Amino acid sequence: MHAPPPILRADALIVGHGRRGILPPLSFAVRPGEFWALIGRNGGGKTTLLRTLLGLQPPIAGATERGAGGLGYVPQRGDYDLSVPARVVDFVRGGVDAGWSFLDPLRTWRQRGAVRDALAATEVEGLARRPFARLSEGQKQRVLMARALVGAPRLMVLDEPTSAMDPINEQAVFDRLAALRDARDMAVLVASHQMNFVPRYATHAIFVDCDLGVALAGTAAEVAGHDAVRRHYGDLMNAA
Amino acid sequence: MDDGLTLSTFFEAWELFREAALTGLVAGGLLGVLGVYVVLRRLVFLTAAVSQAAGLGVVGAFYAQLHFGLAWLSPTLGAAGATLAAVALVLLGRRGVSAQHDDLLGVAWLVGAAGTVAVGTRVVQEVQDVQTLLFGTAVAVVPEDFHRVVLVAGVLLVVHAWGWRGFTAVSFDPDGARVRGLPARGLDVLLFATLAVAVSVTTRVVGALPTFAFSVLPAVAALRLAPNVQTALVIAGVVGAGTGFAGYVLAFLWELPVGATQTLLGVAVAGVAALLGAGLRRLTAAG
Repeated sequence: MHAPPPILRADALIVGHGRRGILPPLSFAVRPGEFWALIGRNGGGKTTLLRTLLGLQPPIAGATERGAGGLGYVPQRGDYDLSVPARVVDFVRGGVDAGWSFLDPLRTWRQRGAVRDALAATEVEGLARRPFARLSEGQKQRVLMARALVGAPRLMVLDEPTSAMDPINEQAVFDRLAALRDARDMAVLVASHQMNFVPRYATHAIFVDCDLGVALAGTAAEVAGHDAVRRHYGDLMNAA
Repeated sequence: MDDGLTLSTFFEAWELFREAALTGLVAGGLLGVLGVYVVLRRLVFLTAAVSQAAGLGVVGAFYAQLHFGLAWLSPTLGAAGATLAAVALVLLGRRGVSAQHDDLLGVAWLVGAAGTVAVGTRVVQEVQDVQTLLFGTAVAVVPEDFHRVVLVAGVLLVVHAWGWRGFTAVSFDPDGARVRGLPARGLDVLLFATLAVAVSVTTRVVGALPTFAFSVLPAVAALRLAPNVQTALVIAGVVGAGTGFAGYVLAFLWELPVGATQTLLGVAVAGVAALLGAGLRRLTAAG
């Protein structure tokens, strides 16, 4: 059986700032149905790698390549300015502007069915008219997911989706991501400094630590079993 | 009300006041809409800096006419050039940290303010025009200026009605907009360019003070009431237009300076909107 074509590929990718790479070269390919965990300590290079994969900053060397299909991005919740007035439905509508241009200004209006679907998929239809700023952290995360889902992405990328959440909400987020991945045959890439979700949810992992000069990518078991990971994190990634 | 000046008196002399009153309406509406981006992006002092730069552009144009014989360099052109230069400076600075961004706003304001005063001493013959420009005491607007404001407002409002979703995306979710493949840099430049053109034209015609006021206060009022950005854009446009027109009428009735009256009316409207907004939020929370 042939593996499906990758949605995102990195070839000998070196990320960094200015002209200085902060991590060794990294190569991997993300395919539909996979759940990738991008893990490492705070300040270890996760955000730099994530921003490079998203095309928000250029690589120092190597290349990234996106396959067919859209990419849904869920930034950290703190990245949104809560003084900007928006109801939940307005917030989710913002996610369908991929392909918007002055030549197609009514694109968002035509996609209102997709907005309804995304609200339903994340169970926030009942909150549609509520101001986004007044939601709980767990509700905000679901709305952010709906915003990313509304463009029917093949890959959903989330940056620290469970920061400032209690363990119950944290597990609910990962359960929902796994369910969405299965229902939509998409891939998920989650950046997090918490590693205890890896054994239960991740099929693959990327581990980065710029202080140690380590960048690993592979199946979750391969990465968890690597000497550098075991030396610094013990069995944290293997805990059931 | 003073000396029997009434609304009837005003409208009986409508022919005299028409251009000026409608200019307040149009300029207020245009800057009200653009002001939503200005306020939400925390660029309030951009308009102040840019209108000061426009002032420098105007005195610079007078100076060039008087001392270099550059008759083609009109004050409007001078204002537009200086405004675009100030916006470009601030736009380039936005790549850096926010402290640098604030520095550049300060530099643009100071160069505009000090430059206007310094160059103004060399264009003594035109000093009345410069004063009018800076403090917005103009009671009358010539038809050519009125038509220019209407034309610019018409074009810019069409651009904003057409592109508000793109402008909103790059303003409030710049990373997300780039990931979704929107032409973020181009939209940002276009947004700032429309702001620069609007500020330069209105500063020249209605003055720096009301220009600053129109680009801040209607948006402040709208954002207290609106549930989302698109509603805020509409409310801010309506409040700006109303403030511009009613401010002119009140200035006539109470014999006050036009720009100051429009500004104080804007402050009052923003205050009422804040109270209303707080009441609405309380009602919503209770419901």
